[in-house]
Amino acid sequence: MGADLATRAELVKLARALGTTSDGVEFASALGARDIRLLRERVVGALYDEHRAAFRRVAAITRTLPTSLNVRIALRAFSPLLAARVAGEMAPERAAELANRMPVEYLAEACVQLDPRRAQPLISRIDRPRVVAVVSELIRRDDFITLGRMLDASTEEMLADISTTIADDALLRIGLYAESGAQLTRAVAALTPERLRGVVHSALTGAPDLRSTALAVVSRVTDEALRGRLAAYAAELDDETLTALLHTAVAENAVAELLTAVAAMPEPARRRMLALPALEDPAIRPRLEQHDLWHQLSPSIGH
Amino acid sequence: MRSDVRDLLRPWLGEDVAFLERLSDDELGQLCDALGVARRAEAKAIAAASDEALRQMPAPLRSGIARLVGR
Repeated sequence: MGADLATRAELVKLARALGTTSDGVEFASALGARDIRLLRERVVGALYDEHRAAFRRVAAITRTLPTSLNVRIALRAFSPLLAARVAGEMAPERAAELANRMPVEYLAEACVQLDPRRAQPLISRIDRPRVVAVVSELIRRDDFITLGRMLDASTEEMLADISTTIADDALLRIGLYAESGAQLTRAVAALTPERLRGVVHSALTGAPDLRSTALAVVSRVTDEALRGRLAAYAAELDDETLTALLHTAVAENAVAELLTAVAAMPEPARRRMLALPALEDPAIRPRLEQHDLWHQLSPSIGH
Repeated sequence: MRSDVRDLLRPWLGEDVAFLERLSDDELGQLCDALGVARRAEAKAIAAASDEALRQMPAPLRSGIARLVGR
């Protein structure tokens, strides 16, 4: 049995931090999601801090020049990597002023390179339409890891803008890599009930990877009432779709996430879910029985 | 071997990384290698970007700026 969803997402992020593949960080898989995250934070600190002194000196020079000249110099001479590192050492207000005058593609690449520890004060000061444009560009590049970091750095207003302008699948994939469950919850809560229902339905009737991503997002939402609404929307789907969700949860080692969602369903929906014939499948049942939550849920329907 | 690798990792990852104790010798070695590769790649990328930036600077300013950024 492979790693669970949260661990896999953290391994992907660790691999990105180390500039390698998921196979290249397999050594860390036994640590579990929480400690892999801690390891990644230390790795990021090590890699970004090693060259800070030089970037701090460049940032000091920018303080003596007008913004328009800084923008011209940056666009002419600085790659997005360099610009991002210097921006991380500048006062956030000043760095945001520059960011507001730079092309979206350049900014998107700079966001990839930005020190995650310095992203929040900077991104929260960039003009909202520009942030949304950068988000769209990063979605075009399928860079959901950077987007997960940006979600964390966004203000409440930005979250509302982002949530309402991007496609359902992109929202879910960003949610998978979001650093903070609380920020993810705010982004999901910004959606109208109709949109939320549409996101859940399209995820659960979509490709298996989207189904497992949806399970990860539902389990990461920190507001129980919101999780209950998401689970209720899932329960509106037919038995065939819910059975496919069950198979995906088993195949993707996301049974804990599935049970969290089932526990959040309204009572009639929960009973229907727990009465699915596939639950009697000898290949599935033992996987459920490994979880305490299954034993709490199953007596209610006589399993 | 284990304590050697931990000594190599400690300056980069900090003293308080108790979870490293749960990695085997082999896994610790792989982490150490991966971090080394990443650090070298990072230094190379920054050096290349800095050199390119210096090339774009007006010639009279180049050496002064190079000294400032440690190139």
